[in-house]
Amino acid sequence: MTVLAPDARAQLTRRLDRLRAERTDPGGPADPLPYRPVPGRDLAERLATTLAGEVVTGPGGRFVRVEGRTTRVALDRPRLAGLPGQPPADRPLVCLDTETTGLATAAGTVAFLIGLGWWEGDAFRQVQLLLPDHADEPALLDELSRHLPPDAWLVTYNGRGFDWPLLVTRYRMARRAAPAHDGHLDLLPIVRRLFRHRMENARLQTVERSLLGLERHDDVDGWEIPGRYLGFLRGGPAHPLLAVVRHNHEDVRSLARLVQLLDVGYGSAAARRFVPLGDVAGLARAFARARRPDEALACLEEILSRDGNPDHPSAVEVANEPPDTEPPWWSPRVRADFGGPPSSFPSYRHRSATFAAPWDLQRVALDRAHLLRRSRRYAESADAWQGLAAGPGRTAIVAWIELAKLREHRLRDPLGALEAADRGLEAAQRRRRLGQLDPRLEADLRGRRERLARRCDAARRSLDGKSQRR
Amino acid sequence: MRTYAPADAATVLDSILAEPSLARGVVHHAVVPARDAIQGPMPGWLDPRIVAGLTSRGIDSLYCHQAEAIEAIHRGEDVVVVTPTASGKTLCYALPTLQAIAEDPSARALFLFPTKALGQDQVTEFSELSKAAGLTIATSTYDGDTPAPIRAAVRAAGQVVVTNPDMLHAAILPHHTKWFQLFEQLRIIVIDESHTYRGVFGGHVANVLRRLLRICAHYGSHPVIVCCSATIGNPAELAATLTGRPARLIDRAGAPAGERHVLLIDPPLLDPASGARGSAVTLAQRWALPFLRAGRQTIVFGKSRVAVELLLTGLREALREGHGPRTRVRGYRGGYLPTERRAIERGLRDGEILGVVATNALELGVDIGRLDASILAGYPGSVASTWQQFGRAGRRQGTSVAILVASAAAVDQYVIHHPAFLLEGTPEEARLDPDNLHVLLAHLRAATFELPFEPGERFGPTAADDLLAFLAEDGHVRQAGDGRWYWSSENFPASEISLRTAAQENVVIIDTTPDRPRVIGEVDLFAAQTLVHEDAIYLHESAQFHVDRLDWDERKAYVRRIDANHYTQADRAVTLKPLDVFAEDSGPGGSRRHGEVMVASLATIYKKLKFVTNENLGWGRIHLPEIELQTTAYWLTADGARDRWRRDELDVALLGAGRAIQTVASILLMVDPRDLGLVSQVRSPHAEEPTIYLYEAVPGGIGLAERLWERHGELLAAAADLIDTCTCEGGCPACTGPRLEPHVDARMLARRLLAELRSTAPAVQA
Repeated sequence: MTVLAPDARAQLTRRLDRLRAERTDPGGPADPLPYRPVPGRDLAERLATTLAGEVVTGPGGRFVRVEGRTTRVALDRPRLAGLPGQPPADRPLVCLDTETTGLATAAGTVAFLIGLGWWEGDAFRQVQLLLPDHADEPALLDELSRHLPPDAWLVTYNGRGFDWPLLVTRYRMARRAAPAHDGHLDLLPIVRRLFRHRMENARLQTVERSLLGLERHDDVDGWEIPGRYLGFLRGGPAHPLLAVVRHNHEDVRSLARLVQLLDVGYGSAAARRFVPLGDVAGLARAFARARRPDEALACLEEILSRDGNPDHPSAVEVANEPPDTEPPWWSPRVRADFGGPPSSFPSYRHRSATFAAPWDLQRVALDRAHLLRRSRRYAESADAWQGLAAGPGRTAIVAWIELAKLREHRLRDPLGALEAADRGLEAAQRRRRLGQLDPRLEADLRGRRERLARRCDAARRSLDGKSQRR
Repeated sequence: MRTYAPADAATVLDSILAEPSLARGVVHHAVVPARDAIQGPMPGWLDPRIVAGLTSRGIDSLYCHQAEAIEAIHRGEDVVVVTPTASGKTLCYALPTLQAIAEDPSARALFLFPTKALGQDQVTEFSELSKAAGLTIATSTYDGDTPAPIRAAVRAAGQVVVTNPDMLHAAILPHHTKWFQLFEQLRIIVIDESHTYRGVFGGHVANVLRRLLRICAHYGSHPVIVCCSATIGNPAELAATLTGRPARLIDRAGAPAGERHVLLIDPPLLDPASGARGSAVTLAQRWALPFLRAGRQTIVFGKSRVAVELLLTGLREALREGHGPRTRVRGYRGGYLPTERRAIERGLRDGEILGVVATNALELGVDIGRLDASILAGYPGSVASTWQQFGRAGRRQGTSVAILVASAAAVDQYVIHHPAFLLEGTPEEARLDPDNLHVLLAHLRAATFELPFEPGERFGPTAADDLLAFLAEDGHVRQAGDGRWYWSSENFPASEISLRTAAQENVVIIDTTPDRPRVIGEVDLFAAQTLVHEDAIYLHESAQFHVDRLDWDERKAYVRRIDANHYTQADRAVTLKPLDVFAEDSGPGGSRRHGEVMVASLATIYKKLKFVTNENLGWGRIHLPEIELQTTAYWLTADGARDRWRRDELDVALLGAGRAIQTVASILLMVDPRDLGLVSQVRSPHAEEPTIYLYEAVPGGIGLAERLWERHGELLAAAADLIDTCTCEGGCPACTGPRLEPHVDARMLARRLLAELRSTAPAVQA
């Protein structure tokens, strides 16, 4: 009896060889750069030479520091602080944007380039920190901590959802605490709120083009960036990273430009008179969300006062109706499109560029009426709804319903409410004759009318009873 | 009009056995005697609030297995608890968890269940226990249905997190930095229903646990692992393979049980030449009726959704004719909504529902209380699940009845004609191979993504460096200046692994029935050839789907829900080439080997077979390209047999003996017969000798081949026994496979070949 003693290691080598042969099949993952270990020191030196930076060595390893250009970006901080969600005037601002090895904020994604920018007076200073090798990450993180004073506010674009959680993950992986900061100004939500009506997506480049009037040339596409860095780590050339560094530098600078745009263009009521009405209407909603209804109302009233004055930018160009099937790009249910790799995977399915519902004066008036009611200015709200009820279309029906509610519950005028319900039904029936059905609004009005009629009858009878007893 | 008098189960059984047409089919009748409870002490260190909570729920003392498990866990030992159905295993891990949190509210526990439904059941039960003890413990399920806002709360504050391996693999481990509170304070990991983690799935889960323990070590926690398993042959070995750590085996059942009758029943043989038999479904129905009419709670298990529907309509019909309790018989299967299922479970517990017809959806730990009779229409495929289904019947006092009605299939016939196998023998072993190269490499990628590897760090059996260097060739992993291995790709490796299949390249099965098509499963390419070819009937959760289109290049199969009375079975033409011998052993009659092989497989035709009767309804061609599969195999060569045998007889003998070995192997190793492919070669390219190969139908194999090699002697003996005891004339589907040529006695030839293989000296030709 002969038993062949298996040599585990040799056997494994043979099995791996067979797998390797299998892998070279066409259709398998093709990689142009074969694996070649590169010493970490070389990586840092090459990176610094190519990018005109300096290698900084600390206890946690090496990193490469690239000085950015200093530009003049003047801010009126108290004015900026007057806008909803903006940092208090005395807090230092640190703009931050990272370039990463992937889109997932999970444990294996590394931020290899951290772009930072801050103000010294009117001067906006920039610096970029690069990771030459995985092993050097502690040094990079320590350096980032040094740049973030505890009272600072971060300024990012989608940093709440992406950059900062990713950095927190990196700190936890290195078993150290992420640096504390006082606040976080993520510009993405405010850009969505103010400008979504006139942009086809929320990418920073689109923002630059449509708001700042800038067009980038020779810019690197976001989905290419991880590959360029990983190629370098595998022993590839460093020069493809030049474009990445430039890209990141522009991104950070655009953060400053955006803050300045908000400050200069929207910080004062006087300036707001010269921007598209949709922007101001969006700002009004931002004020309302921050529980500052008076300022929100002031914005809306400013827009309505533009009516008939041809000097003011009025309603924006007519935009497409958003399609029914998919939520529009600005909806919170849709993930922001920052330019991922072109992929056929369903969650990255290309969405046709769609515009948000356009702002027009009627929609502004509608917002104003709602806002007045929420501020408990019922009489004024009723006037506003009355104005809308005189208008055409579905809005009129909605306005009658709102009027009925206000008169019944707030103004203690059931008879008036009954009349509003009647008028609303009339308006609905007019629309029905034109073939435009609003079954839900009609049902609401019918129920409301019936209830109000009963209530008025009861009131009348008890009134009659009382008068008879007298 | 007939009325039915209530009677106890023993009386009903006696009356059935007095009826010759039913009693005739009984091939074996065993009585398992009643067993008294064995109590163990309530541990003195248990928090008084927990003791009070138990008392308020009527629990004053523990069964011995509970007490033993709780003490061991308290000492910090890993345990594996093996207990029959419904014997109170929940307490074994619930009490130590409660105690740990009562002592230190920052302590955390992780409960893993194979399915979502089971997880939710356990959350309810655990919450009741903690409420009774007056402890407020944040217990939450974290699965695909958990809404996003709640997820953040569970991550930060969930003290007991209940989830499944898939979720742990794809959503928790890659995001471990968001779960650091859990991993820093993790004290107990519970792996319930651990016997379900076998085969490919088991290999994946073992690797997920390796990753989990790696993350725990990173955060400095050393949790105890508690495995709960149904009765299988190797629970401790399974737990050790699964978790990579030895565990203390606790298998002394302390719960009391009443007397139980076990009956094995063979449907009548209709045609001795073809081996055709009466239907197991019809017979099971006839056995169930007397119990239902006597008011005894009865559960009937069917093997498919269609069998369940047939049984249900049949029983209701029969009860209506006789004015029986028709409306109190219900169906229970995979496709039901959770609320419907909960209602049925409740109805069974409080006695409102008298009879239930179920698929194996009820095999896992869902609590339905204990019934009087359990009737299985067809062998469920393993001794362990047979006993789980038998276990549904069994009051703490009084008699219960468990009945297995065999079908004509080879495995069923073997089981009922070898009652010792079911009643005395050890149940099957659950096999899994965590070191399957494909599976190991896939999880090594995910593990590197989660945490860099130190040089020389082990992952599985050995240091991972060789494998990491291999991965580095693709550029997904790189060794940095500090010698550690880092993930260096923008891919998210966990999303590339499906825990239910071995290969990375899979065919996705898309159900187009609902308005919005959804993915219902994945199969690897090798299985896809025969499971989801066009016009195949694909079975998923006991529901049938028709494959409308298979887009082979896109790896997508589009299916539609249908109700058909047939299923499909595809044939494949296979050529096999040995690549590497891992071990070999030769005796005088022949030699055995196991190693790596290359299987080239081409799906040729499919047959439409009627459910229950297996009647052939037609066939069609399959047009798919040939695919190659590298896997492991066990093979045996009849050295020198070519000189002693006639070539045509040798052909038949190899195939017949191979079929019998395949059947017995699937029984011994607790696998689906389709997981082991059979190839016989009169002249093998490897050894130039007549050879029978059993290969694993999974890329890289799951360790079955090695185990078959080890159990070679047992296997041949059982195969010979299967052929010897068959009642057919010259070979039938139950022994050597369907008879191909009417004049050749396949049974005799296979017997002769097996005898030669088992002999110590070569047989001398007369």
